[in-house]
Amino acid sequence: MMNTKTNCIITIELGTNAVRVHAFDLDGNTIASMKGSYPTFHSQPDYSEQDPEQVFITMLYVLKNLLTEKIHPKKYKVVCICFSASMHSVLAIDKKGVPLGNAITWADNRGKKEAQELNRSALAKKFYQATGTPIHPMSPLIKIKWMKAHSKETFIQTSKFLSIKTYIIQQLTGEYMIDYSLASATGLMNIHTMKWESDALAYAGINSDRLPALVPVFSSPGQLKKEYQTLLGLAYGTKILIGSSDGCLATIGSGVWNKDEAVITIEDSGAVRVIGNKPLKDAKRRIFNYILTENCFISGGPTNNGGVVFEWFAKQFGDFSGPFDLEFSMESLINEASKAEAGSDGLLFLPYLLGERAPIWNPNAKGMYFGLNIKHERQHFIRSTIEGILYEIYSIGKLLGEYRSIKNLSVHGSFASLPFCTQLIADIYNKPVSLRKTADSVASGAFLLSATEMGIYGNLAEAVKTVVLPDQYFPKKQQHAVYMKYFKIFERLSTKLADEFEDISNLQ
Amino acid sequence: MNQFLLRQGSSDELQIFSHIVEFALKRNSSIHLNSFTASSSDCIRFYYVLDGKFEWFIQQEHYILYPSDLAIILPGQTFGSEKGYLDIGTLCWLHLEFEVTSSKIKAEHNKWSSISPAETGTIKKILALNNMPVISRFREAGPVFQNLRSELYSQQLGYSTRVNQLLDELLIMVTRLLTKQNNSQRDFPQAFLKLENTLRRNLSHQWTVEEMAALVGLGSTAFTEKVKSFTGFSPLNYLINIRISEAIKLLKRHDVNVTSIALETGFYSSQHFSTTFKKLTGYTPSQFRKINLSSNLL
Repeated sequence: MMNTKTNCIITIELGTNAVRVHAFDLDGNTIASMKGSYPTFHSQPDYSEQDPEQVFITMLYVLKNLLTEKIHPKKYKVVCICFSASMHSVLAIDKKGVPLGNAITWADNRGKKEAQELNRSALAKKFYQATGTPIHPMSPLIKIKWMKAHSKETFIQTSKFLSIKTYIIQQLTGEYMIDYSLASATGLMNIHTMKWESDALAYAGINSDRLPALVPVFSSPGQLKKEYQTLLGLAYGTKILIGSSDGCLATIGSGVWNKDEAVITIEDSGAVRVIGNKPLKDAKRRIFNYILTENCFISGGPTNNGGVVFEWFAKQFGDFSGPFDLEFSMESLINEASKAEAGSDGLLFLPYLLGERAPIWNPNAKGMYFGLNIKHERQHFIRSTIEGILYEIYSIGKLLGEYRSIKNLSVHGSFASLPFCTQLIADIYNKPVSLRKTADSVASGAFLLSATEMGIYGNLAEAVKTVVLPDQYFPKKQQHAVYMKYFKIFERLSTKLADEFEDISNLQ
Repeated sequence: MNQFLLRQGSSDELQIFSHIVEFALKRNSSIHLNSFTASSSDCIRFYYVLDGKFEWFIQQEHYILYPSDLAIILPGQTFGSEKGYLDIGTLCWLHLEFEVTSSKIKAEHNKWSSISPAETGTIKKILALNNMPVISRFREAGPVFQNLRSELYSQQLGYSTRVNQLLDELLIMVTRLLTKQNNSQRDFPQAFLKLENTLRRNLSHQWTVEEMAALVGLGSTAFTEKVKSFTGFSPLNYLINIRISEAIKLLKRHDVNVTSIALETGFYSSQHFSTTFKKLTGYTPSQFRKINLSSNLL
């Protein structure tokens, strides 16, 4: 027995702010995890960029540390490495494969005008139906269109437009490829034929030679380059799996597989997602439809204004026990919020500090406190801020409810998993909520994908069933009734103020 | 305080303080044209407003100072009034010999100070990187100038020690306030991003943890802990990350040789660069350059 090694699976998540590397045993238990963060640069308003070499070196450094400190000493054998990444990133490279500047992230809004114009044209409906991606500056379709118009030289020099994940995997293995999940979030791939969509390509001004090869999520880009095998102490034959996107993997990682389930993610930003075998065709183009595997679609809506809004509030109005002690500040704010009644005695908050995506898709939307009277106190402001963030989350769920009847919710993410917030979600939705605190949902999803590919599970459905969700929160009927009265006003204000949002945006 | 003017070379009070070039208090009750035009000097200059309102240009930027505001003008920076004259009011100034721009710590500049050479280096770095030369509502500076004056004039037992201590105190207070003023003490990600940009702009500098910590206004222990939990790396390992990412970018271009890349990205030598690069990436810099410049997509 002395020399038998236990097999393990490594997942690498190239997230918005950090790379997270997890190691699982084949039963799905976490053996170890490590993270390394990298910054997002905002050289101009609306710009949001990352240094691809920094992402690469951080990933390599964290992976190496995890392997040499936690995996090799315990005699684990790495059998598979699976990747996931944030959606919508674009990195231009020249004909030698060298990046032409930084990677543009999902949060970049430089293509606002291009998106607005496209949305008003007849092409919008056609593109949405073909690609499943809402027309928005987040999508690589719009970003490449922007580059063609405003960064002509880079556009001409670009031999390929990659996602950050494509670049990282190419550095490690030499292959340029993109999985269906990430590709389905580019606005450039037809989600019905699994091919690059020629009309969308024509609009962006490129042909498919300038994009990486499209492959299913279970594909392998081949072996690690020899130098990386040596550096990381990984044997030839260690399977590299291209994997999927963070959104798709978080959905299955949260144990969602049935049509009557939805998953709510709230970190800095957030999303509500459902799973199904067909895309949801929304006439108003408010819902995204991304592909996990053939015949498996993750549909939903994203919000810009999740935990980041509460952090903003805490930074402005919270108490700090010492420098930079944001956790303390947020904790004491939540304690104060719990002193106010559900509904904050009629104080409403619109959380659109960063503009908004689903369901209103209005980049000009702004934040607002509404209904303020002389009796409102500090705790009402705190509570209404949290309620406003969660009303927005509910409005996405309500939109999805037009297509699905949702019975159960699963929540995860640093903000949604605060007990106060999880209970509020249960109350506002009036549905039982399961919370998975123990593991990172994206990493779990990547594990399920790897384990399925290796044949440990017969298929993904079987794999997802193994996810255990221990913590249940049940809705309080009375509170739900209160929230629904205010939500009606919240919903009306969110659309009614469109003109005023635009006017104030022009002045800011 | 009454008006006074002490000047190196002509005032006996400054004889044993060769580093104090000028120290004065002036009540300006009338306007004299061309009395205060833009000038630069080799000293670090502190101007503290006691009364009135002063409009100044520091490095071509316009500032308005009110009572209790302090302006810090670094050696070589231009300073003066746009109108060419000194506004009506009362102010106190101190010109001190204090090299800021050179990254080498010259022992002679420290002789009078009891701040350690390493910390003096940090103070210099922070002053050199600062781009907000005015500290507002700096009431604590008043007593320092007042005590400095009385020590210099009364020359009681231990006055030479006290004078130098007061100068140290002023430098420490100014540096601490500048970092607090430049960073909200609430938003670590923001402060860290600012630090990262500073590091990237000065990558060839041999940064110490103390210097980085001081730039965000924390002690080294708290800083290290904060960086570790925020980034997953110790400050020095995070710095290595940035150095290697920049090096990778330069290696992928034809026009810079490996030794220059090593020095530009802050490694002591090409040997040090080579070892660190290999340890992190599995390739030596030259191997890495070769495989990247030979590959061709088309």
